[in-house]
Amino acid sequence: MKGVAEKGGTSRRQFFNRILTGIGGLIGVGAGAPLAGFGILPALKEEALDWARLGPAEMFVTSEPKLVPFTHVVPKPWPEEPVKHAVYVLKKGEADFVIYDIRCTHVGCPINWNAQAKRFFSPCHGGVFDIEGRVQAGPPPRALDRYEVKIENGILYAGRLYRVDESLRRTA
Amino acid sequence: MWRRLWQWLDERAGLASLTDAFLERKVPRRVGWLHTLGSATLFLLALQVVTGVALSLYYVPTPDHAYESLKYITQTVPFGAFLRGFHRWGASLIVVVAVLHMVRVFFMGAYKYPRELTWAIGILLLGVILGLGFTGYLLPWDNRAYWATVVGTSIVESWPVIGGFAARILRVGTDVGIRTLIRFYNLHTFVLPAFLGWLTLAHLYLVLQQGIAAPPAAEGRRVSRSTLRAPDFREAYRQEVEEKQRTGIPFYEALWKDGVVALVLFTLLAVMALLLEIPTEKVADPSDVNYLPRPEWYFLFLYELLWYFKGPWMVVGTFVIPAALFLALLLVPWLDRRPERHPLRRPLASSVAAAGIFAAVYLTYLGATAPLPPSATAAALPPGGPKVAVAATPEAGKRLYEAQGCSACHAIRGQGGAAGPDLSRVGRTRDAAWLARFTRDPEAVKPGSPMPPYKDLSEAELQAIAAYLAVLR
Repeated sequence: MKGVAEKGGTSRRQFFNRILTGIGGLIGVGAGAPLAGFGILPALKEEALDWARLGPAEMFVTSEPKLVPFTHVVPKPWPEEPVKHAVYVLKKGEADFVIYDIRCTHVGCPINWNAQAKRFFSPCHGGVFDIEGRVQAGPPPRALDRYEVKIENGILYAGRLYRVDESLRRTA
Repeated sequence: MWRRLWQWLDERAGLASLTDAFLERKVPRRVGWLHTLGSATLFLLALQVVTGVALSLYYVPTPDHAYESLKYITQTVPFGAFLRGFHRWGASLIVVVAVLHMVRVFFMGAYKYPRELTWAIGILLLGVILGLGFTGYLLPWDNRAYWATVVGTSIVESWPVIGGFAARILRVGTDVGIRTLIRFYNLHTFVLPAFLGWLTLAHLYLVLQQGIAAPPAAEGRRVSRSTLRAPDFREAYRQEVEEKQRTGIPFYEALWKDGVVALVLFTLLAVMALLLEIPTEKVADPSDVNYLPRPEWYFLFLYELLWYFKGPWMVVGTFVIPAALFLALLLVPWLDRRPERHPLRRPLASSVAAAGIFAAVYLTYLGATAPLPPSATAAALPPGGPKVAVAATPEAGKRLYEAQGCSACHAIRGQGGAAGPDLSRVGRTRDAAWLARFTRDPEAVKPGSPMPPYKDLSEAELQAIAAYLAVLR
């Protein structure tokens, strides 16, 4: 019977093919969508981050950036995940703080404050940043990323990470 | 006894037809040692699967336990250090052997009709092998693992359009953490090995289906330039098959070479696993600002490339070149469509490939021998303080040069970074006055200079640094 088709009609073979393709498509979507969502969606969710405590604001006395290790906690939805980090805290005035991420904006190598040169150096591809976090040399595409700042009862907290443009205004 | 068992099995499972198709098929008489590279890759992959399954008996993929569980494997479990060494060094050896296999196939023109698909699947397999290397690198959860993954996922993040999504999906969020480790473990032990298995089967099926391509002869019939039409390929392939049937030898008689190579590789790996120590590092520390991240050696040439693309051009190094390279490799059979197979008769293809190999080896060499920037040296010095009077002597200048972190970008006699010019002989071409002026404000002396200004240095300090540099000849 193979290939016997009426004009404008469907052969047996084509009919079976369509049924099987339809069944396969339904099962594929029915299984694929939950699988993809399961694997991908949690990664795209904006995590609620607690403000991370860095320490008493008065412990920052100089105008030198100071390295502070801290732990960010992603609260509830399991797994409750302590994210260990470090930041450079620069005290510019009485209640005026800047908190820099230690990861270079190029490919993420940990930057290093050089107190003599008054610059941040990245060890990987020669990125150099000034005390304000602006790119001075090397391939980094933007100024150092920063954390939101909060001072409460004399304690300094770091919030969300954000990016800045050349004039150090927040972009994202 | 064995014969009767075999007959019993064959009668029910038809095994003889399978083994005949595999072992009795004819291969070209001139198949030599270079043709063992494919089976050598297969052998090493099988070893990785076996040792990997073994390691997963004791390895615990969580940040709390990964590092300690590997310590347990290496120090306490019998044969643990040996098996881990096998897996660790085998991963590197596979890349070497697989790339050599690819180079052999390329220069012998064995990817041409009807073997285009075999080549393309081979390139995908190389991609899977590199993916296994990248995901496996995180599993020890030491500083090297952590920072290499921060760098690797940051590179993905810089990709256009999909970069942000892809990086988040790889890391499961914005940071490298618990879920990154478990995701990489999942990719490394389930997802990528599944791709590896199926692609390998397809690759082998195609090799059996098409037969092994005879090494191209330098002499013999030259394919005319005007016959670019497909039938010419078909005719050549038909003749090849015919000649193989007439003069070829059964695969069974060529197999001993593959056995010898497998034994040599196995011995080599066993010796490496016994003698070489796997470098141990501190447990992953995301707050360690003195760490210098380095990728595994086979990614070094791509990593070195990143020096050359600054600011918004960064994406050329992180995406455009790697993606173009992968696409070009994948599409080799469709880029080089002429029937000629001998490397000397494909001067363009051969020289492009040779140039590419040279560039990759050279960049790897640069990366492997790059002087390390002394990141933490200056940080150990007392900070700022009141400026002290500095004498304009080379000795004082040398101290300042080190303290100011100049060596982060400049090398002097092999010590220092490579972002700026090497200063080992700068005194030959520049005098102290020029050097002081330039250091203070490079932009004013040489517009467009990428060097940051050092206006915050005192005149005496600038003079001292210049005095030091001027005596370098």
